[in-house]
Amino acid sequence: MNGQPTWGTRLVAALGIGALAFLVLPLLIVVPMSFSSARSLAFPPPGFSLRWYETFFGDPSWMEALWNSLTIASISSVCATTLGGLAAYGLRRGTFRGRDVAESNFMAPLIVPTIIAAVAMYLAFAGVNLLGTFLGLVIAHTVLSVPLVIMVLGVAVRSFDVRIEQVGWSLGGSWFYTARTVLLPNIAPSVFAAWIFAFIGSFDEVIVTSFIGGTYETIPKKMFNELILQVNPTITAIATLLMLFTVVTLALTAWMLQRAGRLRSTLL
Amino acid sequence: MAKPIAERRQGVGFITPLLVLMLAAFNLPILYMLTLGFWSKEGGFTFEHYAQLLDTPIYLRVLANTMRVSLVATLVNVAIGYPLAYWMRGLSPRAQFIAVSLVIVPFWISILVRTYAWIVVLGNNGMVNRLLLWSGMVDTPVSFLYNELGVMIGMANVLLPFLVLPLFAAMLRIDDRLMQAAASMGAPNHTIFLKVFLPLTLPALAAGTLLVFILCLGFYVTPAILGGGKVTMISNLLDILINQIPRWEQASAVSTLLLIVTLAIFAGYRALDRKVGT
Repeated sequence: MNGQPTWGTRLVAALGIGALAFLVLPLLIVVPMSFSSARSLAFPPPGFSLRWYETFFGDPSWMEALWNSLTIASISSVCATTLGGLAAYGLRRGTFRGRDVAESNFMAPLIVPTIIAAVAMYLAFAGVNLLGTFLGLVIAHTVLSVPLVIMVLGVAVRSFDVRIEQVGWSLGGSWFYTARTVLLPNIAPSVFAAWIFAFIGSFDEVIVTSFIGGTYETIPKKMFNELILQVNPTITAIATLLMLFTVVTLALTAWMLQRAGRLRSTLL
Repeated sequence: MAKPIAERRQGVGFITPLLVLMLAAFNLPILYMLTLGFWSKEGGFTFEHYAQLLDTPIYLRVLANTMRVSLVATLVNVAIGYPLAYWMRGLSPRAQFIAVSLVIVPFWISILVRTYAWIVVLGNNGMVNRLLLWSGMVDTPVSFLYNELGVMIGMANVLLPFLVLPLFAAMLRIDDRLMQAAASMGAPNHTIFLKVFLPLTLPALAAGTLLVFILCLGFYVTPAILGGGKVTMISNLLDILINQIPRWEQASAVSTLLLIVTLAIFAGYRALDRKVGT
């Protein structure tokens, strides 16, 4: 356990590093492959080119999918953060009966397999003509993002002393005024994190979107459909862009939470 | 003691908007799906859709496929994840931060990207096959893709963070002095690990294993892409029953069964997880 490295600790280190490599290496290989000049996925890439990025940005159908993904993710993440934030506040500060049941219900989309949510929403949305509509996708994405928002903002509200809010109320501030001027500025990094998580979750959602999206294309839905049919190197470029986007937003979120001293409690 | 009425309702207003949305767009659809599985075409209650599931051999084969792939992927996950979490526990805080980041970042990257990465790496001209051919270990490229092997590798990879993160958190909570006490009494390292450390991590390991297994059962994207249509799991069957040959009642019956199994295993997970928390 301590002192000289033994064969045991060396073995554990080798297994640990191997596991991290298993996790990360395939993703790292995608990046150089996206600059390949070849049509096939031959490794190593025979030459450098930007042709797969040009194909992506030059293709109106991909651009339309990108636009759809961005608008759906923007609207659903704002809805999820607003509704989920209010609910997280009510769950932490309220004293009403059935809070546990309500919270379990809000967390359910995390536990119920997404494929089941997809089937259920397909069947129900078919009955009310929401299949293949923008509104249907926004509603579905909002519901799926709610658990993450509740988790992140639940922690934030709990860690903010209720007595500080009470001071605001006792000085004559309305609930909205106190929330806007006292609570929100203090939990702003968590709100931002919750919104980012909801945005990424929606932007990457593929299962429910494939089921209820109809002819409505989003980036993941189009990627999925193309991947089932054939390997298309354009996907390599899109995959690289998506990774870059995720890493940058996560780093930004981690930095903001770090500054607020809330990184640990939010992540683990 | 009965609370005053005002207290019994205080705060309800905050959750009402979300509750309405959830009931309308999540609870009701699932309830509708549950009833559809018992709905006969002539109207009225029936078990015929469930009876059909048992009578059709393909459904049982899909079930067996799902169980086998899920079990292997979960075991591979444990075999890779436990040493990783254990190794991370012993690192310096700085190295720990880097290792945790390397586990969390893939967790947030699109599942499509992480699945696609394996097509790039494991394809016939991919890096792994190039290395195998170059080293002379094989003469012809190994078919990793579009079979069960590929699906298992992909699933183990995608789900690894779900096991490692809670397991690592649980390992961090174990007091180092317990191992030191064992060492001071002369126990060799492997005995300390087997008799002190491992038993303390078992509840968290079991909880993580159940969680990963649940996620495996409902996995859709990775089997669909890496299986190349040859590895049919429950979720791919649901895709066929909804999107290709519409049989909504049977899709509902299959979903209901999957939901029941998932919730039963989740109840076990919760019981274990509570044990870990205390």
